[in-house]
Amino acid sequence: MSEKKRRAGPAAAGAASSSKKPRAAASYAESLRSKLRPDASILTSLRALASACAAASSKSKAAGKDPADQDPAADYIVVADQDSTSVTSRINRLVLAAARSILSGRGFSFAVPSRASSNQVYLPDLDRIVLLRRESARPFTNVATARKATVTARVLSLVHAVLRRGIHVTKRDLFYTDVKLFGDQSQSDAVLDDVSCMLGCTRSSLHVVASEKGVVVGRLIFADDGDQIDCTRMGVGGKAIPPNIDRVSGIESDALFILLVEKDAAFMRLAEDRFYNRFPCIILTAKGQPDVATRLFLRRLKVELKLPVLALVDSDPYGLKILSVYMCGSKNMSYDSANLTTPDIKWLGVRPSDLDKYRVPEQCRLPMTDHDIKVGKELLEEDFVKQNEGWVKELETMLRTRQKAEIQALSSFGFQYLTEVYLPLKLQQQDWI
Amino acid sequence: MDSAVDEATGGGGSAPVDTKKKPAAAAKGRATAGKGKAGAKADTKTKESSLLKQKSPAEFFAENKNIAGFDNPGKSLYTTMRELVENALDSAESISELPDIEITIEEITKSKFNTMIGLVDRERVDEALYDDFESDKAREKRLAKEARFQETQAKNAALGKKVKEAPTVRAKGRGEASFFRVTCKDNGRGMPHDDIPNMLGRVLSGTKYGLRQTRGKFGLGAKMALIWSKMSTGLPIDIKSAMKGQNYISFCRLDIDIHKNVPHVHLHEKKANKDHWHGAELQVVIEGNWTTHRSRILHYMRQMAVITPYAQFLFRFLSDAAEKNLTIRFARRTDVMPPVPVQTKHHPSAVDLLLIKRLISETTKQNLLQFLQHEFVNISKPHAERLIGEMGPDFSPKMAVKSLTSQQLVRIHQLFRQAKFDDPSGNCLSPAGEYNLRLGIIKELHPDMVATHASSAQVFEGHPFIVEAGISIGGKDVKHGINIFRFANRIPLLFEQGADVITRTALKRINWSSYKINQQQDKIGVFVSIVSTKIPFKGTGKEYIGDDITEISSAVKLALKQCCLQLKSKIVKKLQARERQDRKRNLNRYIPDVARAFMETLVEIADESPPKRPRYDKEDEELLEKVNSQEVTEMTFRDCLAQHVEQVDYEMALEYAMQSGVSEEPREEIYLNSLDGSYKFVDFQSPLFVFRFIP
Repeated sequence: MSEKKRRAGPAAAGAASSSKKPRAAASYAESLRSKLRPDASILTSLRALASACAAASSKSKAAGKDPADQDPAADYIVVADQDSTSVTSRINRLVLAAARSILSGRGFSFAVPSRASSNQVYLPDLDRIVLLRRESARPFTNVATARKATVTARVLSLVHAVLRRGIHVTKRDLFYTDVKLFGDQSQSDAVLDDVSCMLGCTRSSLHVVASEKGVVVGRLIFADDGDQIDCTRMGVGGKAIPPNIDRVSGIESDALFILLVEKDAAFMRLAEDRFYNRFPCIILTAKGQPDVATRLFLRRLKVELKLPVLALVDSDPYGLKILSVYMCGSKNMSYDSANLTTPDIKWLGVRPSDLDKYRVPEQCRLPMTDHDIKVGKELLEEDFVKQNEGWVKELETMLRTRQKAEIQALSSFGFQYLTEVYLPLKLQQQDWI
Repeated sequence: MDSAVDEATGGGGSAPVDTKKKPAAAAKGRATAGKGKAGAKADTKTKESSLLKQKSPAEFFAENKNIAGFDNPGKSLYTTMRELVENALDSAESISELPDIEITIEEITKSKFNTMIGLVDRERVDEALYDDFESDKAREKRLAKEARFQETQAKNAALGKKVKEAPTVRAKGRGEASFFRVTCKDNGRGMPHDDIPNMLGRVLSGTKYGLRQTRGKFGLGAKMALIWSKMSTGLPIDIKSAMKGQNYISFCRLDIDIHKNVPHVHLHEKKANKDHWHGAELQVVIEGNWTTHRSRILHYMRQMAVITPYAQFLFRFLSDAAEKNLTIRFARRTDVMPPVPVQTKHHPSAVDLLLIKRLISETTKQNLLQFLQHEFVNISKPHAERLIGEMGPDFSPKMAVKSLTSQQLVRIHQLFRQAKFDDPSGNCLSPAGEYNLRLGIIKELHPDMVATHASSAQVFEGHPFIVEAGISIGGKDVKHGINIFRFANRIPLLFEQGADVITRTALKRINWSSYKINQQQDKIGVFVSIVSTKIPFKGTGKEYIGDDITEISSAVKLALKQCCLQLKSKIVKKLQARERQDRKRNLNRYIPDVARAFMETLVEIADESPPKRPRYDKEDEELLEKVNSQEVTEMTFRDCLAQHVEQVDYEMALEYAMQSGVSEEPREEIYLNSLDGSYKFVDFQSPLFVFRFIP
């Protein structure tokens, strides 16, 4: 009990005696409601943030150069969006070269950039993970690579066919065109990434997309393949983020910020309570680890609308990990990190320090497993965490208390506490880091 | 168990000291109290304990026969057999004769047994008196069942199906005992005519005492079998024996007086020895159970054959039912025998107070210096002087060793405990030898691969030990997974496998997969033989070695790892060879896919009308022309690729042959049994050799 009191101490700020019972904690949480100022005043501060963010991004644009533009091909691989004719001609060249090699009796071999994890590094200058330029040969006449070489040839020919017809297919479609050869979708997916790197184009330029995963709702209007979509009229479920970002055009919004949510459940709560009407915002979730389409979409929103991005994730190492994928990219897609990452995301909550600040009851907190702690310690070593002092502090708090909590832990104060008290208060206090 | 025996005899031996010194008597009293067993076994001639009730060692073991492995009839049959076999092996090895041992177990039916002991068979009169009496109700049930069975049988026969054997209807009743005559014949040393009664009719008398690596567990061996036969059948033991160069065979029939622990001789005579036979043949009739312990006995024989490939065993099981009869011959595969283990002196760190006393009473040395120098290993003269100096002013090198007081002995003992001595050497041990172990494994299991390793001697509590290990992969009659064969002092251990150090090490501490061995799928044989002057057995049964001795467990692990390392290189080579064989097939499998993939794309490129399509190099254009004109088709690609694969495969094969040609496995010598008898040979002459065929 004494330990609990000690932990509650700094947050309680003089009201320590009330921390003993959950009921007391609940009433404290309710008392926070009274601290809320009228929405109008919160909105003013949000507006200030939005304009500051817009100014900052335009300034950085005025400053001119994205460091990546300076010397894109030097040490690491950068892929770019390309139109289908240029991709097709690249494939043509590869195929013709291989075909001539075969006909001259030398077999064939592909030079594939290595995507091994040792080859992927975080560059602090760019604030994202990139793929170093290092190629490995994939000859057909080697038992170890024969199969991969075959699959690569097959994927090249399939992509070629897709591009020529000017259509889009999913990764699953691709897999099913030759199940017998591919055997397992993970294999065709991996080779597809290899092909992206080989051709130096993004995966969406190959016209192969993943199935829809992310959802968006809120003050956003855009055209999906020409059809006007109003994201305020998407019901509670929201609009699925189109896997093919090319289809999206005419983005318009009067939102003041973008709210990134880790989980579907919290997303649904926000959508149902029409949170975006109280505070004009765009609410986005990828339901866990973000897929390529959601990351592309977020980046597109950020670039076009110049809005600040606030993140609402679980208070555990994985929440932070997901945040890092949005911000710095994943190792798997490092070659395309330039197009996929959205730096400058603010961590709104639920942060380890919030647990005590809002006196989340003990029964809603979970002890961290050994694995959690290991992941947490690894995160502390990551450069992207080290860059932000506030994050380091929060992570250290988490590791010290050895407690984690999900966004839903706030539901212990009532299902709508999240939308009615927690988020407004956070916004009012500008409590993000 | 040697030490318990030592202590028992030590207790007896220290009696003369008691009469001289009072404090010594106190020490003796403590020793007997501390060792209940030793107390019970105390020699009959000790006078002072005449007031107490006496129990002879024979009585003690008769009452606690489970200590010696006679828990139940089945186990007793097994133990009897193994004691006889082990005695026979020791006997033959002691005169460096290649052992040739015949074991016969003959089932004796009850009526036969009754006639043997002169009891007239008696029919049951009051059937209901017996346990296996069948009441009317049960009888009806059984008949109905039999009728049903016959019906299905007839149906099956009509349909041409295989007819099942009728199930054995009755299990044996509780009171139905089965009897066995166990005979074991060897070609060993034999026994001196006059010593036979004492050697076999007196418990805890033997030739194997002293610090030496021996097979015997208790010094009980055959005597325990005799006690068991007396308990279960009442029949005496028959012994035939002849020593080398003796012109007569001693024949002796005796049993044991359990209360007095003395032999009771029925017959003791000499017969003519026409064949110049030497060795011993023991025959004992005991109660047993063949059904439950059949597989144990056969396992024992097989494992014994593994660890002693230089011995020849003939095992027979005889009974009235011909289909149950069994004859197995374990052939000799080598004439290389491990040396006879030599008796060694005690290591100072391994002695206790009682043992020091006994050594003093037995020594011929006069003074302390000589005693220390000659009665222990690893104490040189200067070392002994230093030790005596360390004992204090009461001690001097010249003092008479027999005059030491009890306190002084304790001082010596304490010093022995604390002082540092060199480790005893393993020279006194007689391991099976890597060669023999390997041969034994190959002979009995016919594995695909085998690796062996012998560690150097190591020490646990002043007793040297040597671990030898072998691992086999594959083979006949081997189960999938890990099969463990344990040996201690060159005898197989069959019972209480779970807690054994060898089992634990093999199952828990070896990462088989890192040696490319599949713990579940491969047929793995793990053989570990530990020899020592004292095997640290656990439990009363002396059937396993505890897992808590780090010296032994790490030595076992190391030896097994060495074997695994040897195997790994072999396995890798094998995998490479297989890969080489598969390479062509694997590559060719993908040719159609590749050809199709490229062809589809090429056709599409060629299809595009020239103005729209970007310009390519001259060679590319030519290629597209050929595709259009169907000069190049899918088949062209296939042929070109197949040709290329062929070429690459040939090159790789050449490379492989060059690599593997250098490192061929060392050849192994084979052992050919000499032919007995005379044959008519047909000779095929050559300038270098002769082939002789037996027509």
